Amino acid sequence: MKTLIAISIITLVAVALVSQLHFAHAQLAQQTSAKQYINLRAEVWNEFFRMTTAAFTVGAIVSGTMIWLVWRFRESNPKNKSPTKWEHLEDPTSGSYEEEGH
Amino acid sequence: MVLELQKPRPVWQIMFSTHHTDVGYLYTITGLTFLFMAGVLAMIIRTHLFFPGQGVLISDSATFNRIFTVHGLTMLFLFALPVANGIGNILVPIMVRYKDMAYPKLNAIAFWMNPVGGALLWLGFADTTWVSYAPYSIIRAPGPAADMFIFGMKILGISSILSSINFVVTILKCKHPDLPLRRVPLFAWSMLTVSLMTIVAMPTYAAALIMMLTDRLGISGFFNPFAGGDPIAYLHLFWFTFHPEVYIFLLPAIGMMYEIIPRFSRKPLYSQASGVFAFVMLGIIGFASWGHHMYSTGMDFTTKVVFMIGTLAAVPASGMHVFNFLATMWGGRIKFAAPMKFAVGGIALFFSAGAGGVLNSAMPLDFISHGTYWVVGHMHLFLTGTIGFGFVAMVYYMFPYITGRMYSEKWANVHFIGMFWGTVQVFFTQHLLGLEGMPRRIYDYPPEFTSWTQLNQIASVGAWILGASFAVFLASLIYYSAKGKPANMDDPWGLGGKYYYPVAAKNPHGGHSGY
Repeated sequence: MKTLIAISIITLVAVALVSQLHFAHAQLAQQTSAKQYINLRAEVWNEFFRMTTAAFTVGAIVSGTMIWLVWRFRESNPKNKSPTKWEHLEDPTSGSYEEEGH
Repeated sequence: MVLELQKPRPVWQIMFSTHHTDVGYLYTITGLTFLFMAGVLAMIIRTHLFFPGQGVLISDSATFNRIFTVHGLTMLFLFALPVANGIGNILVPIMVRYKDMAYPKLNAIAFWMNPVGGALLWLGFADTTWVSYAPYSIIRAPGPAADMFIFGMKILGISSILSSINFVVTILKCKHPDLPLRRVPLFAWSMLTVSLMTIVAMPTYAAALIMMLTDRLGISGFFNPFAGGDPIAYLHLFWFTFHPEVYIFLLPAIGMMYEIIPRFSRKPLYSQASGVFAFVMLGIIGFASWGHHMYSTGMDFTTKVVFMIGTLAAVPASGMHVFNFLATMWGGRIKFAAPMKFAVGGIALFFSAGAGGVLNSAMPLDFISHGTYWVVGHMHLFLTGTIGFGFVAMVYYMFPYITGRMYSEKWANVHFIGMFWGTVQVFFTQHLLGLEGMPRRIYDYPPEFTSWTQLNQIASVGAWILGASFAVFLASLIYYSAKGKPANMDDPWGLGGKYYYPVAAKNPHGGHSGY
């Protein structure tokens, strides 16, 4: 699980940064002619759609996971009738994953 | 065990108390009062913008400017900060196992500065915007409103610094010696982080306010271009304080979710260490990104890239919180009582607002969205969607312990549905308005711009739904604190286990028997 989290975080950063490089390159090479100004406007909107695609993709994955979590682990789910192993403790929130070797 | 309801104490006994839970109640109730006052201003603004070109509610632009200025100031400094401080006051000493805050009298003084600062802001009703842009705020903003704004903010800033010093000393110096700092609950960690940030950030704004005052008096010309000053310098000083302040508003709400989510998932927090790491990271990164508010002020390319990367560095730390919440819920047996509903709703909207933030931080895109309603939508999605949901979750969580009575789950559901629906409708639509090119802070717009009209009307309907949900919340708070069923203090939601911190908070003068 921790590896999955680490990979997800690295992917998030990579998606955010890589999609910027194209525009950064374009801006460094920019000239002042009207034609290139229009090109840059196109680049900006291209960048916008790239980033919204990235944001919506990651957002859909996280939101989808959350919706599934809410549906699957709600206490009224028939698969979830029996108490969790932590509920046998005096305080279910007081244990720790690290101590139990997860 | 059902505890007998305690005999209500006289109000003056709470008002003049220096005990941490009493000061916490005062902070929380004051903050909620200002929330409803600022909410009324928001309803006026949105109703006005429903009708283009008619001025139904507000007859002139100056009044409109005053209303949105005071709305913003109140929500940020008289609702968000006091409620965070209030819950912090109630829980932090208990979480670090100390009898009170480190400096109880200073704590009470810090609270009582809030009504004074609030009175100055509301009686002045300045029109400077909450940023108080120079040179307008120096040259043109009418007094005494602008001067009252300066003094009001000064008092609120001093209050923030005093309460922050108190939190830092309480957590670092007064915690029980058997409690290692890494084991301190994450809500207390969030308060420690924001307190340290406040101590570093706030003096800069305090200096800027003094410079602004002397500029207004004609003694100096720091930000006055006619006297050789630089208005952009004010923006640097302002955003050096107030970009970190965004995290100062946000992190306590995240900390509150850390208290609620494991409890209602009936299992331990997935990772204490990653929560601590993410708080500290956000505390540091918060100072590396203020320039992204000023891309369009003529900054050079390299500086902009540095600020862009600094801003994006907040993504992994924020992601760690989200993953920590999801991993905590995974494998649990979740009870969706009101606090959990609001906490989960807050996480979903936190992610949406964060995605918008990534787009804002990219400098080419920032030029498109700068000064438009996109920014209004993004900022409000954070403030309402994450901070608002986190705080409301915590108010429901603490309600049985503060009042001794149970709220109505049915009306809390109505509140949740209305608040979630309204937040999405009004603030997502404002993003679209920004892409349609509507500038922020405008009094009116031409009815011929049909897309603006339609989107504004959708946003206003969303705002009314949001407002109605808060009317339900207010009525529910008042009615059920007096007429609600007596709560089972050991386990108000039937989750099992021991609720150490809120139970100890219920009995403020009887020691912390939870340990």
